Amino acid sequence: MTTPTIRPRAQLAAIAWLRWRMFANSLRSSRGKAEVISRVIMTIFFGVGGFGGTLACGFAAWYFVSQGKPEMLAVMFWAVFLFWQLFPIMSTAFTNNPDSGDLLRFPLGYRAYFLIRLAYGCFDPATALGCLWLTGMLLGIAAASRLLLVWALPVVLLFAAFNLLFLQMVFAWLERWLAQRRTREIMGVLFILVMLSIQLIGPAMQHFERRPAAQKTLDLVVSVQAFLPPGLAADAIAQVVHERFAVGASSFLFLGSIAALMGCLLHLRLRAQYRGENLNEAAAAGVKQEAHGLRLGWRLPGFSQIVAAVFEKEVRYLSRSGAMLLALIVPLFMLVVFRLGPARSMWHTHFMRAPDVAFPAAAAYSLLALTNIVYNSFGGDAGGIQFFFASPARFRQIVLAKNLMHAGIVLADAALAWLLITFVYGRPAFEVTVATLAGLLFAAPLNFTAGNLLSLYSPKRVDVSTIGRQRASQVTVLISLVVQLVIVAVGVAAFMLARLYNNFWIATLLFLVLAALSVSVYSVVLKRADTIAIERREALVSELCRA
Amino acid sequence: MDSAPTISTQGLTRRFGELLAVDGVNLQVAPGQFFGFLGPNGAGKSTTIKMLTGLLAPSSGQIEILGLDLNTDPVNVKRQIGVVPEGMALFGRLTGSEFLNFAGRMYGLDRITAAQRATELLDFMQLADQPKKLVTDYSHGMQKKLAMAAAVIHGPKVLFLDEPFEGVDAIAAGTLKSMLQGMIARGATIFLTSHVLEIVERLCSHVAIIHQGRLVAQGSLEELRAGVEAQALAAGAGPSGDGASRHVASAEKLTLEEIFLRIVGGSRQAEQELSWLG
Repeated sequence: MTTPTIRPRAQLAAIAWLRWRMFANSLRSSRGKAEVISRVIMTIFFGVGGFGGTLACGFAAWYFVSQGKPEMLAVMFWAVFLFWQLFPIMSTAFTNNPDSGDLLRFPLGYRAYFLIRLAYGCFDPATALGCLWLTGMLLGIAAASRLLLVWALPVVLLFAAFNLLFLQMVFAWLERWLAQRRTREIMGVLFILVMLSIQLIGPAMQHFERRPAAQKTLDLVVSVQAFLPPGLAADAIAQVVHERFAVGASSFLFLGSIAALMGCLLHLRLRAQYRGENLNEAAAAGVKQEAHGLRLGWRLPGFSQIVAAVFEKEVRYLSRSGAMLLALIVPLFMLVVFRLGPARSMWHTHFMRAPDVAFPAAAAYSLLALTNIVYNSFGGDAGGIQFFFASPARFRQIVLAKNLMHAGIVLADAALAWLLITFVYGRPAFEVTVATLAGLLFAAPLNFTAGNLLSLYSPKRVDVSTIGRQRASQVTVLISLVVQLVIVAVGVAAFMLARLYNNFWIATLLFLVLAALSVSVYSVVLKRADTIAIERREALVSELCRA
Repeated sequence: MDSAPTISTQGLTRRFGELLAVDGVNLQVAPGQFFGFLGPNGAGKSTTIKMLTGLLAPSSGQIEILGLDLNTDPVNVKRQIGVVPEGMALFGRLTGSEFLNFAGRMYGLDRITAAQRATELLDFMQLADQPKKLVTDYSHGMQKKLAMAAAVIHGPKVLFLDEPFEGVDAIAAGTLKSMLQGMIARGATIFLTSHVLEIVERLCSHVAIIHQGRLVAQGSLEELRAGVEAQALAAGAGPSGDGASRHVASAEKLTLEEIFLRIVGGSRQAEQELSWLG
């Protein structure tokens, strides 16, 4: 018997075909078609942003080079770098990062495996936009000096290669850490802390700007950034403009070395994956612990046993997801950010002058922070959805229990925000507090209604403990955006009307009328939850139970 | 059958687009039977069990469990049955104890009973020594045992198990088998699908075989054996005879595997050769 010859090119072609078939097959279902339509709409948004960015980069590059300030190109290189690296992590909904590890069962050579990983990275929206903006920079440089383009082209290509390798390296190592639940949760918490810390950079810089040591710090930051890839790319071009060719070449080589280092780090991780490392937690020996005594379930006064049981389960899920918990305190954190911000910043000025604005804003933000949980409330249940269907529980009870937990979070967030605002900005007026609570009474049921419908009609399996490689349903992203915009618009209009007449009770009255409507709509949808769940039974089970 | 069947289907049919996955199945399972539902891959076993437990809507046909129509009275039916479906239906981010407590209360047990039974079941299934471990971190076999515990916590009259022994080690399988036999002894009815024919032969008193969506055999093991042997005798009048007729001639009992292969025609497929295989 002869063994077939393995041809890497044929394997790569087969993988490209596989990706195409996966996409084409997804169009068979109406859900798949809706996903594609939503994706097209999102792509148009990104396209506009990408094209605008390209023009901006092109113009800025032309300006800086023609004005003899090529070192300022560092600003654009940094902007491209930060977007390229942070966007895929922050917006996993738009990130295309399938698991190349699944391909390891095939006789794939290591080189082909490495290339496939990089090829997957090339289709990422952040990579596409980053490349587009770098192209804009190149065009701008060419417009300012055609001769410089000869040198700028390899620099920009090397910078793009560095970004591609760096992003894949970060993802590969993140996967390593996310493969185990405990490290995954620690990473989730660290990630959110880093994201929140980034929010603090601006206000902190503004805060320290007023101090004498600020200039020294700024100088230090500028000199340090020059040794980092975006700074090196800018320096490589700038030095050549100033005819210091050797220095420019050394910056280029240094950038190349860093890119090579990223490639080596990526190689280390992919090599381990390729050799079949096993990060399975079940295989690890568990530490035996003493069994506890009888532990009773929770009681929820006024509600049935089933509602109480699901409520308890939801709270336990939430308490075990560091990432979700931290996301819920973001609104409170933002209040601190605004307080730390410069005295002339819009939010700070508004909040200091009128702490009454801060409370409605924080309450609205707390509702926004819940979006991921409310609009895909069965996503974290995964295979457990079968239990719901097999049990004698009614879906209206299950949905109600989930919404009770959501309402509890909104109320807790609002209460904490009120306390924080009182401490930081001053106590909001009584009528503003009441109007805000009335606003929540309108907004929360409306949000829950839309969330419940989307949770049943457009579910997406998610691992509530992780941050990477999870894509929310595009339909959900789009519709939730619209609902949130409507709620915010109505809220702002009511408060503006109240301010116009200098009477916040108008807003309260308006919100209460709207609340009566939204609670009615909520009740109607809740009553239909069982019918909808039965209609959507197969779609829910097949989506949430998939491996 | 003397008494009213515990599980009864009439013309149970399920289509997926063009594919007819289950085609007019008429099943009868009497009270107290340990019923094995067999069939080759893709024959329609899981589809049937999903329809019987309310996880999938039939395209047509009727299902009655304990004399209740599943379509019109699903909540009352579900209250009296236990299910371990294909995906096990677990909540990964609860501990084993929390999950069993939750399951008990979802099936209407009061808090104290749910907690007591959860503790007992964890002990019985030998899952009690790691109380803080989340279900998601359990091994496959541990998850199977937990899913089984959740399916029986409310003391169901009928238990539906989809491949309960798949991926379970011999010790865990022994634990599960003794629990199931205990339930049968106390009058419960168990309906299970399995590919492990030796287990089905040892546990089940009655068997049905589904092939290409159609029910091709149903009855006690002895009835099925007798049917196959009669067929074999009729066909074995030829010059060579086949395995079944040789068994009949030598008075050996046909195993369930032989009955199964005879009914679904697996022996013909096994005889095909793939000449390019080493």
